[in-house]
Amino acid sequence: MRLTLRQRTERKWLPAAEPEVLEELRRLRARVPHVTGALAATSDGLVLAHDTAALEPEGVAALTAAALGVAQSLAEAAGRGAFRELLVRGEDGYVASYAAGSMAVLTVLAGDRANVGRLHLEARRSGTRLADLVADALGRAEQP
Amino acid sequence: MANTQTALKEAMTSIEGCLGAALVDYTSGMALGTVGGGNDLDLTVAAAGNTDVVRAKVRTMEQLGLQDAIEDILITLGSQYHLIRLLKSRGSQGLFLYLALDKNRANLAMARHQLRRIEAGLEV
Repeated sequence: MRLTLRQRTERKWLPAAEPEVLEELRRLRARVPHVTGALAATSDGLVLAHDTAALEPEGVAALTAAALGVAQSLAEAAGRGAFRELLVRGEDGYVASYAAGSMAVLTVLAGDRANVGRLHLEARRSGTRLADLVADALGRAEQP
Repeated sequence: MANTQTALKEAMTSIEGCLGAALVDYTSGMALGTVGGGNDLDLTVAAAGNTDVVRAKVRTMEQLGLQDAIEDILITLGSQYHLIRLLKSRGSQGLFLYLALDKNRANLAMARHQLRRIEAGLEV
């Protein structure tokens, strides 16, 4: 299936799904050792929910949206299809972003001892679940 | 000297009862190569999970103050053997070979012997 990340500034996020989204982020943190934070955002950079102690989530969400734009163009220019994930390794750890459907993205922060194989497995699953939660919430909003 | 894929294929064909094999980087938990496996045995899951096994054992040895290195780790299931062999040569530190064997068909002593031979010939 081909996914495209759409800009959805016209639609406000629904607080109804936030507890479930937060629950999913907490579950991800609990399942993968050395994960220090997780954040769900819309593809245009609005925070949906976050479980980060140290960081400023709005800034990370905005930077995620910017990185997402570049990653998407790069994947398309290289003929690799729609965006799936992005992994950045710094000297002190990892920042990874995973597509969560076409309208949301999951960003995970992890320490340098993190098991990236496990992180990929768990975060891809979480991305799929977040996509469902976001789709459900939007579906509910469209009902009169 | 054999490259990763050749060495894994050799393990798969020369070791009796081999269900799947992987060469795994346990600093990241990602597989450098896999052969075999399938729906019953997802080798990327096995790579990530066994990375935790290896790391836990390395840490335990540090805490026990053992000045030694792990040669291999054997996990015996009801119907399978899982064999983890840590690579020693320079340039392949931080890697392990992972084998899943059918318990009814495998000869454990022979499998360990073959694995040692494959490790010696492996060039990453």
